[in-house]
Amino acid sequence: MEMLSGLAHGFAIALEPMNLLWCFVGVFFGTIVGILPGLGPSATVALLLPMAMQMNPTGGLIMLAGIYYGAKYGGSTTAILLNVPGESASVVTCLDGFEMARKGRAGPALGIAAISSFVAGSVGVVLLMLVAPPIAEFALRFGPPEYFALMAMGLSMVVLLAGKSMIKALLSMLVGLWLATIGIDLFTDGARFTFEQIELMDGVNFVIVAIGTFAIGEVLANMSVQSSGQTFTVPKGLRNLMPNWQDLKDCRFAFLNGSIVGFFVGVLPGAGSTIASFVSYGLEKAVSRHPEKFGTGVVEGVAAPEGANNSETGGSLVPLLTLGIPGSATTAILLAAFILWGLKPGPLLIQDNPEMFWGLVASMYIGNVILLILNLPLVPVLAQILRLPGYVLYPVILGVSIVGVYSVDQRLFDVWLVGGFGLLGFLMRRLDYPAAPLLLGLVLGDLMENAMRQSLMMSNGDISILYSRPLAATMLLLTAVLLAGPLFRQVNSWRLKASEQEV
Amino acid sequence: MKCKSAVTLGAVLITACAATIPAQAFTPERAVEVMVHSGPGAGNDIFARGVVGVLDKLKIVPQNMQVVNKTGGGGLVAMSYLSEKKADTHLIAVFTSVWWVNPMIRKEGKVTMRDLTPIARLVLEPSVMAVRADSPYKNAKEFFAAAKKNPGKLKQSGGSISGRDNTTRALLQKAAGAEWQFISMKSGGERIAALLGGHVDMMIMEPSEALEQIRAGKVRVIATLMEKRLSSVPDVPTIKEQGYNVPEVPQARGFVGPPAMPADVKTYWEGIFGKMHKSKEWQDYVKMNHYEDGFLTGAGLRKFSEEYEQTMRGILKDAGIKLVR
Repeated sequence: MEMLSGLAHGFAIALEPMNLLWCFVGVFFGTIVGILPGLGPSATVALLLPMAMQMNPTGGLIMLAGIYYGAKYGGSTTAILLNVPGESASVVTCLDGFEMARKGRAGPALGIAAISSFVAGSVGVVLLMLVAPPIAEFALRFGPPEYFALMAMGLSMVVLLAGKSMIKALLSMLVGLWLATIGIDLFTDGARFTFEQIELMDGVNFVIVAIGTFAIGEVLANMSVQSSGQTFTVPKGLRNLMPNWQDLKDCRFAFLNGSIVGFFVGVLPGAGSTIASFVSYGLEKAVSRHPEKFGTGVVEGVAAPEGANNSETGGSLVPLLTLGIPGSATTAILLAAFILWGLKPGPLLIQDNPEMFWGLVASMYIGNVILLILNLPLVPVLAQILRLPGYVLYPVILGVSIVGVYSVDQRLFDVWLVGGFGLLGFLMRRLDYPAAPLLLGLVLGDLMENAMRQSLMMSNGDISILYSRPLAATMLLLTAVLLAGPLFRQVNSWRLKASEQEV
Repeated sequence: MKCKSAVTLGAVLITACAATIPAQAFTPERAVEVMVHSGPGAGNDIFARGVVGVLDKLKIVPQNMQVVNKTGGGGLVAMSYLSEKKADTHLIAVFTSVWWVNPMIRKEGKVTMRDLTPIARLVLEPSVMAVRADSPYKNAKEFFAAAKKNPGKLKQSGGSISGRDNTTRALLQKAAGAEWQFISMKSGGERIAALLGGHVDMMIMEPSEALEQIRAGKVRVIATLMEKRLSSVPDVPTIKEQGYNVPEVPQARGFVGPPAMPADVKTYWEGIFGKMHKSKEWQDYVKMNHYEDGFLTGAGLRKFSEEYEQTMRGILKDAGIKLVR
């Protein structure tokens, strides 16, 4: 009852004309920033922080949060159309999204991304409202051994991301794990593989590797086989530019999966939306009736990671609002905003400032609706980009990629780096090595290594800490099941072959 | 070439003006860049944006101030960028303690604070020793006793080993004759979550990181690691009061200019920060963020910079961290 009255009060606040305006401003800016690769939500929120400081806290928070979740809607656009991940969480969206675009289904892919974002984004808010305090307490039980088990589970997704050859996928993952070691080591402060380059001291930026291996690799591969002419087909008629009923039906489970996985991964301060998107994609493929079709342009392959990415927002607000702990760069800026407004983020925030909490929750419902209304009509328009012939489209992709990479840190070094990874991506395509496992290794390697070394320091080198705690043990068991799946299938097919030969 | 001569001409004109009308001091003519060495959202970046926010409110800088992020190498990228912009009049940067520490421990860091033009130190960040509220340790002594009894069993969560929390740990261990583990974690959020979740036993932190946790009864501060007690936790005795002779490891934030910053530009910014320092808006900001006021300019700042380098050198050496410079 208390919750309902709180929510009603929240809607009263969020529907005040000024707050509604700020909500619109936030999601609008967010969408634009999301579409542009490179510039992420954290940079935009930081940029608008001084402006938000002049506003009242509730309005300001509504706007800043709008940018945060709005940017996540837009991130899929360039991933689907150009194979350029707009932000790190959209990398997985490229896998099936771009393949859909190649098949002339860019419109439905963009549409399903928007719908899934809406569904999961809303579910994330519902969960934030319902379970925030208890789930935050649960998240605190995640110590280094639990994070290690979680990362191991994530890494085992490689068996699901592998194409035809498991060996090639594993090799690709190993390269990713190696790339993750570049930079200053957290524990010893020693430099690893930096060659005394200041630019490499913070490691290799995930977005650079993703844009290089995906977008630039793709362009190079296409240029080497095709001379010119139309590369994509874009069907005429609005109906073909929107997801149809069958698409929505295929995505039923993906909506649910994305919503739940995204939220729970989001709650953990040490994880993040990239991991959420990988895990939900893997889960979707694991339970699918046609796992072999993943990576060829199935609509669930877009819906699951996009959903997870958006539901993660609700999750990541949980530790911020209930404990005052930021789990990501963006929530760290929101935390700063709270302090600058004189609010006190911590365990008593919701109790002390109910109007702000409920106003924010209600505004997120409204914001998600605005985003859907804003994004769906854009779909047919954006899909037209693919009508451009190759000789126009490819330079556009290269330009967007380079500008995107440069905009992250304004360093020319990064542009050279993205070129290098572009070449790597091209070679990998030519030799039929999948790029997704490399990115999986890169995003998880660092976190997994840190978690393992932290665990071993906690136990003074006793390795049993990794599997003796119940939560960690459960996750490791799941990992084993996940890894055993393909092995079992393999053995089964050998057995079948053998029995056929006997007959 | 043409461009260069235009600049020279401009410089001549300005010099001429300055010569004829000496009262005409420097004021910015275009947007001023405020460089930060970390990404959006990091403590530093928020500090810079906070200062810009206060200056905006006070309306004492006639031009826009834009925060730009030059990330990389824990400040080394920003420092080398600043050193390339010799005598630039429209660029200032936020310095923190790593601007002294990193060049000492990293071969890559070729620019030091001595090469740059420190303008003003604005705040000092206090630090405290904290445990979970249900922990058996009520003061530093009890924690040290437990650590002595179980060598290497107790754990502290923190950042990198050259960070203040680890150097302080080294000093505390020496003073108490005890040893415990230091577990590096990447973000402040992870560190405090590990403390709240009971995965580690202690954390050395800025009080602002946990004031709300203290108010909610989830975290207890067992010692103040400063010379004086803090206004935010007035009941907690300092480590010296508890009988351990541990020097304070200071951490400062302020503004620095490029090498050879013209004197009138430096004077201008000293004036601006001086005015800001006196304003109520700034005092409120300092209080809200639980900083200690550390305003210092001119000769005092120079002295601080030199002494600080020496102090940190000694502390790092004692903590067993290799120095390259």
